[in-house]
Amino acid sequence: MKRTLILLMALVLGLCFSATAVFAGGGGPPKNMIKGFILKVNPENRTILFEKDATKEKLTLVLPEDQDLESIPFGKKVLVSLVTKDHEITNKIKHISVMFIDMPPSKIVALLMVGLIGGLLSGFIGSGGAFVLTPSMMSLGAPGAVAVASNMCHKFPKAMVGAYKRWKYGQVDIKLGLVMASSAIIGVQIGIKIQKYILDHWGNAGSNLYVSVMFVIVLVLVGGYVFYDAYKLAKGGKEAETTKLAQALQKINLPPMIHFKQANIRISAWFTLPVGVATGMLAATIAVGGFIGVPGLIYVLGASAIVASATELVIAFVMGLWGSIQWGLSGLIDIRLTLLILAASLFGVQLGALGTTYVKDYVIKVVMGAVMLIVSVSRGAKIPEYLADLGLRAPLSPEARAMYEAISFWALIAALGTAGIVITFFMVKGMLAARAEEHKKEAVSHG
Amino acid sequence: MSAKLTSFDRAMMAITYAEAGEHETAKEIVSSERKEKIMKPTHNKGALALKTLVFGAASLSLYYIVFTHVDWITTEFTKGGWHAAYPVCTALIFSFVHGAFASNFLSLIGLEAKGH
Repeated sequence: MKRTLILLMALVLGLCFSATAVFAGGGGPPKNMIKGFILKVNPENRTILFEKDATKEKLTLVLPEDQDLESIPFGKKVLVSLVTKDHEITNKIKHISVMFIDMPPSKIVALLMVGLIGGLLSGFIGSGGAFVLTPSMMSLGAPGAVAVASNMCHKFPKAMVGAYKRWKYGQVDIKLGLVMASSAIIGVQIGIKIQKYILDHWGNAGSNLYVSVMFVIVLVLVGGYVFYDAYKLAKGGKEAETTKLAQALQKINLPPMIHFKQANIRISAWFTLPVGVATGMLAATIAVGGFIGVPGLIYVLGASAIVASATELVIAFVMGLWGSIQWGLSGLIDIRLTLLILAASLFGVQLGALGTTYVKDYVIKVVMGAVMLIVSVSRGAKIPEYLADLGLRAPLSPEARAMYEAISFWALIAALGTAGIVITFFMVKGMLAARAEEHKKEAVSHG
Repeated sequence: MSAKLTSFDRAMMAITYAEAGEHETAKEIVSSERKEKIMKPTHNKGALALKTLVFGAASLSLYYIVFTHVDWITTEFTKGGWHAAYPVCTALIFSFVHGAFASNFLSLIGLEAKGH
């Protein structure tokens, strides 16, 4: 009964955060994006008659110069991004994309595969999936905003199922998760403000560069440290110890002090705040807050890797729910994409969660560090392109551009593959060891 | 010893042994019953298979309904505003039904957490 109440409380709190965040007006798609149907094309002055789907308002919009009139999609819902000039939205079209991509079996299989491994990673290290799901959906043809929205809508139910499973295994600290989530929402607001500032001053290319540079810096530094720590633990065969930083922070008696029972930490709320805010900021910047949330919980607050990765799922649930409502209000969620990914990721997340019960604490760090480092290569390969877009270096040749694209794509695949292989290896090893131990016990009790 | 013996059978058997002076055997019978209770899994295979089947069928039906009405659903779900409730609630319902199916299925094929 008590547990059900806690879960209910978590849900209500989550909804409260969501409502606050929605009305505070953060997140969501850019304002220069409209969706609806193209009713008519006027080839003489290259304009279209466009009807917004929600309000049925009709607009006359000017086509971009390079738009082929033959390829204009009629009868399909489209997403139109408009050119902005001096912070004002004009009636000139920048880009038209079909909202709902066709779904041949090959795309369905691709989505299921990525969903399965993304879920496995999420259940195991508490985050991940988004960094590969969103680009995958985009490479299958979904518009960026729809890919982000559909991924967000799959993230919160997946995180909920994962959090529930790991809570059943006694690994989740709900209180810590909720405290972190509330500060993470503040972080998201700050992250969005920074993004908007950069977008206003340096445009899309500047924003892309900022996101990529942040991604690479954070992932290389934090991922490198996590990996080094895991390597030390694996080599020495020792159990993980609380870091000196966490020990020092736990000793400072700065009210209000909070006791997190499951994580076995007593720490001032003032120290949980920066970790939460950083998680939110990173979530708003690179869409994977857990890459700083989990290491923050481990090294700054002093939680074990198992509890940290499990608690991160509570944060992912709250933030995912908030994000989904935001994107849902703008009507950009393609539920087909969401449900197809969920079909496999709900298996993956539970497999990953039960996998954590068979492995030592450091294995979670190995997987997390490795994934972060490989993914950083993927983003790093995008930087030359963005620098060229901003005019900060010579333009790239088409061959060079294609090469960087290939590096970026294959690094993502490598990250997923590595995660899948490492998790499966340690899980099977742990299961076999547990079974052998059980047989041994049985033999002793019978003999 | 047959696993089908009831607690009453075991108790009677233990009493018989105890009365016959075989105290150790009597103790063993009682303790083996306790051990079996601790070792016994919380669910049996039949119930698990039934649950997997029910949730599996429910999940499949939900997927069938969505993908046979995909045009209507994608249009309605993306109207924005209060229509946001549609995708969010759908994702929640699917996660409960399909999540329960996945959980039961994994248990059925023997993939369970350590100590569970």
